[in-house]
Amino acid sequence: MSNEISTELVCPDISQWLCHLLREVDGVTHNNRFDRRQRLDVASDALPALLTLLQGKGSFVHLSAISCVDWIKENEFELVYHVWSYEMKVMVSAHIRIPREPGRYLSVYDIYKPAGFFERDIFEMYGVYFEGSPWMEKFILTEWDGPPPMRKEFDSESWVGDHFDWQDYHPDWLKDIEAQGGGIAIRPEEQRFSRKAKDEC
Amino acid sequence: MSDIDYKDKGSILNPLRALAFFGRKPITEKLAPRKASERYRGFHLNDWEKCVGCSTCQKVCDNAAITMVKVPGLPNDPVKGVRDLRPAIDYGRCCWCALCVDLCPTGSISLSQEYVHTCTDPELDSYFVLPDPNGIHNQHFPAGWSKESDNDLVDHQRQPMAELEPSLRIGDFSEMVSGYSKQQAIIEASRCVQCGMCHDACPTRMNAPEYIRAIWQDDLEEAVRQIYRTNPFAHTCGRVCTHRCEDACSVGHRGEPIAIRWLKRYAMDHVAPERIRAIVTEGRLSDKSGLRVAIVGAGPAGLTAAFDLARSGHQVTVYEALPKAGGMTRYGIPDYRLPAASLDRDVEIITGLGVEIRYDTHVGRDVSMAGLHDEHDAVLMAIGLQFGRSTRIPGSDQPGVYRAVDLLRDIVLGKPMAVPSRAVVIGGGNVAMDIARSLARLQKIQHGQVGITLTALQPEGHFPADPEEIKEALEEGIEILPARGPQSVVLENGRVIGLETARVMSLLDAQGRFAPTYDLDDRQIHSGEWMVEAIGQMGDADAILGTELTEQLEWARGRLQLNAEGRTSLSWLWAAGDIVNGPDVVHAVADGHRVAASINAYLNEQVKQGGTRHE
Amino acid sequence: MRAENYQARHQPPSNEYELNFGPNHPGIEGNYALKVRLHGDTVIEAKADGGYLHRGFEKLMEQRLWIQNLALVPRICVPDPAPMELAYSTAVENLCGLDVPVRAQWLRVLQMELSRIAAHLFTFGGHAATTGMYNPMYWGVADRDVVLDLFEELTGGRVYHIYNIPGGVRKDVPDGFLGRVASTLDYLESRLPDYDNLFFTNQVFVTRSKGVGTLSQQQALELGVTGPNLRATGLAFDVRRDDPYLVYDQLDFDIPIEHAGDAWARTLVRRAELKESIRIVRQVLERLPSIPGPIRAPIPNPLAWNVPAGEYYARVESSKGELSWYVVSNGGARPYRTHIRGPSSMHAVQVLETLCKGARLEDVAQIMFSLDACPPEVDR
Repeated sequence: MSNEISTELVCPDISQWLCHLLREVDGVTHNNRFDRRQRLDVASDALPALLTLLQGKGSFVHLSAISCVDWIKENEFELVYHVWSYEMKVMVSAHIRIPREPGRYLSVYDIYKPAGFFERDIFEMYGVYFEGSPWMEKFILTEWDGPPPMRKEFDSESWVGDHFDWQDYHPDWLKDIEAQGGGIAIRPEEQRFSRKAKDEC
Repeated sequence: MSDIDYKDKGSILNPLRALAFFGRKPITEKLAPRKASERYRGFHLNDWEKCVGCSTCQKVCDNAAITMVKVPGLPNDPVKGVRDLRPAIDYGRCCWCALCVDLCPTGSISLSQEYVHTCTDPELDSYFVLPDPNGIHNQHFPAGWSKESDNDLVDHQRQPMAELEPSLRIGDFSEMVSGYSKQQAIIEASRCVQCGMCHDACPTRMNAPEYIRAIWQDDLEEAVRQIYRTNPFAHTCGRVCTHRCEDACSVGHRGEPIAIRWLKRYAMDHVAPERIRAIVTEGRLSDKSGLRVAIVGAGPAGLTAAFDLARSGHQVTVYEALPKAGGMTRYGIPDYRLPAASLDRDVEIITGLGVEIRYDTHVGRDVSMAGLHDEHDAVLMAIGLQFGRSTRIPGSDQPGVYRAVDLLRDIVLGKPMAVPSRAVVIGGGNVAMDIARSLARLQKIQHGQVGITLTALQPEGHFPADPEEIKEALEEGIEILPARGPQSVVLENGRVIGLETARVMSLLDAQGRFAPTYDLDDRQIHSGEWMVEAIGQMGDADAILGTELTEQLEWARGRLQLNAEGRTSLSWLWAAGDIVNGPDVVHAVADGHRVAASINAYLNEQVKQGGTRHE
Repeated sequence: MRAENYQARHQPPSNEYELNFGPNHPGIEGNYALKVRLHGDTVIEAKADGGYLHRGFEKLMEQRLWIQNLALVPRICVPDPAPMELAYSTAVENLCGLDVPVRAQWLRVLQMELSRIAAHLFTFGGHAATTGMYNPMYWGVADRDVVLDLFEELTGGRVYHIYNIPGGVRKDVPDGFLGRVASTLDYLESRLPDYDNLFFTNQVFVTRSKGVGTLSQQQALELGVTGPNLRATGLAFDVRRDDPYLVYDQLDFDIPIEHAGDAWARTLVRRAELKESIRIVRQVLERLPSIPGPIRAPIPNPLAWNVPAGEYYARVESSKGELSWYVVSNGGARPYRTHIRGPSSMHAVQVLETLCKGARLEDVAQIMFSLDACPPEVDR
């Protein structure tokens, strides 16, 4: 029933083994900061071949997630494919970069079915179109007409400020204080550290 | 899964076993809200006595739920670091995460065990509350989640400042403090919660939060730029300022205040002089007004005013009686606290703006004030307090009895001084500590050991001197005797051999005036060949001004009558610095700014009215 | 709300009709909609429709300081908030290189396992309700309440604990707390026979759930299923065992599995996990008093805290499956990107749609609850 699975890496030379495997794909750089987290950087046209290789020969059958990071200053989207091997007990994250415009890439739905969900999520949040995926439609943002909101240029705070009114309170204690010469001195918006995000990232 | 007997014993009748519940005692929940746990995160409580209005809670609140409200009638004392602002909370936005409690520097805010509040739509205003110790419904619920050392997110400990240890530093006048390393400076700067109390407490209203943040971001040129917005004496103040900022620092209420002074020193020391010069000329007016200002005294007040006026485009000439600039900062503060080289850097930046300093020029002797008035459009008197007061006890007029300021000046002037192996210093302020420690060093050099006794009127713990000065003096082997009042100088064959003191019983009279009383049955004699009086300073404005001007001007109780901007009753004469406010370097800098603004306004008026007296 | 989102998706032939299952429906866990196309009683096609619980956490977190996000993080998954806190804290700790003290790790295990117990009790209650059995539902919620009482005592909050902070936890256990945990566990174990009688061995439930929503192991692996759902198909994968975090490698616990892969099996796996969690908590209670030390590694002033640039993929085992967080920092005071992958991202969408196809209408709610699909994690 329950398996006595040891917590050590099944293959202690996991990096070596992976290096070996990766020689079959061009242009991959490999770097690992943590034992069970291996990072691969690969050219965007080599990714599907890499994933097929990992899934087939490498036993990486589980696609944990596809993440998208918007590097607006470099004008690129970074797509990260996190795959896990039940046998090797290692997570490999394959990173690719695609240009922000036109923001299109191939779907890996035929390799990993869970990609459907994540590619749809990236499509509606970032506007990246995945060719070949039958899931390119809105799921969460069906009532939203604006630009893809997770893009860095979309300022959700200003949008909220423009479209909603903040509650204005005027309780008795405030009226008493104002009658004595006091009153609101510093509003929260003036101290919001988030306001300074504009120049930071 | 052998412990589950579902596979074998599942039956349609199993649920009937639940009928047994009819025989069990039911669990009854009371209708009234039950008592919350001891660390429940309920509605806010705020202890108004502890709260200083620093608004750190407002900064950390992730939902922008806190508004700072000015409550009239509360203490508002920037110097003590207390503001009359208190946080008001919007419970429509608050999520009760208690980060405000964890980050509060004074530990005043906490969350209570109260958690029920209902209201109808018209009563929605009741969601905006001003927490006080009684709770929002005045029902005195006990405190729930409060600050303990586990969840306290304030870093109470200051980065330690490396300094020379006493046995090493007693042998010479090299600078005692080593300064922060980059890593220390960044960590120390990161402790700041940006409340701005330091800004309010500083006489020059320095932009400390901004320069601390710049240091944290490792942008030292920006730090220098922010420092120079209010202080052109930053190398100096970064070493010897009386740091009211640190006394007001909100982190200092429960921990050690941010080392604002050492951070200023760090920033100034690590930017090259050429870069400082470039930064300082930013924003400078390039047009020259053609008007001339004379400043008497090249001390902090005079040179700060010179700095401002030169940047406004006026021609400034400073007349300094001593061979070098700096006033009390050079001739009153010993090298181990403020090395001459640091002060020189400050002065060079100012002269680099085109300010001319004429050294060894004594106004009132080499040139007269009236003469200055003829050649200049405005005159500023910033002569400081160059003379020491005397106790006037019997024997204080004998040779062997000195004033501390005179000795300190002589040490800096390099006059050879044969110090005796035993000396007594009278006084409990910073000047007393300075002369005691300077003489101690000379004694160590000349005699191989320290022999200084210092007596002060004040009881222990109440000395006017900085606690650090007293601690360092004790480390250097100086004997400090509190609550002893000088009675007479003991002479033998016309030479000073000691000081007779009596125990001080009280310092102030019933009206709070200075009137010490002594217990004459408790007398001691402290041996020493020198008696050094360090009990206060005075100036001699009349000698500088000359009799005629002295008569023209208005005086009040022995002091020059000045308006709020530092202007005398003569339209062309201002006064600033120690001579006006008493000894303190940062007040002098603030004063310099104040009168420079006034002089600048006056001169611009002159230009507009189309006439300068000198083309 | 736009009308077009509530119309039928196609014009069906006359013997079919389309039904909006949700978003306000007792058979749906949370606020979520399933558009089912029915031929009589049989579901021909099911289409998941989410977004009712979209609060925009990923964007919000980019606009707040690292410390301020602590208050947002538990709110992402409503029934089981503790693993979210742990994942965020773990990611930040790895980015900063913070070492979590040992005592803090044990306290975190305590919080995680108690949260797992509470979440499972909640699920049992909800699941029973879908079959019309409201008594176990009341029991499930009420018994969860006693666990929430423990959380209230330990963390100051019943549901959203905000107990984890990067570097450790915020407060240590109160006096006598460990004894109260032990008696609560005794109470919960004594309740299991009652649950068995009314729910787990109740023939009504067994008949309703056996053979319903069957997933084969192959299908489960293809669809990215994790957690109890995967263990019900026979694969003993648990993040706590295979990608260990905290002090799970020092704890003695089994990974219960079943083989049938249907709703019945999934429920049984959760029941067994409840017992394993109780076993783990008892071990923690034994070991905790003898572990000294601080409960938090020091962090810089939170208002001036720049986390070094880098990225980390943190994974924890929540009660629903594998919960992962991908956190990217660009060296600033705020996260540059936080991507939250909840286990229900797979279960509530692709798996649900696949399993509902061909099921009968009355089984749709069974399938959703047996998958323990939690919409707040899907929508974020």
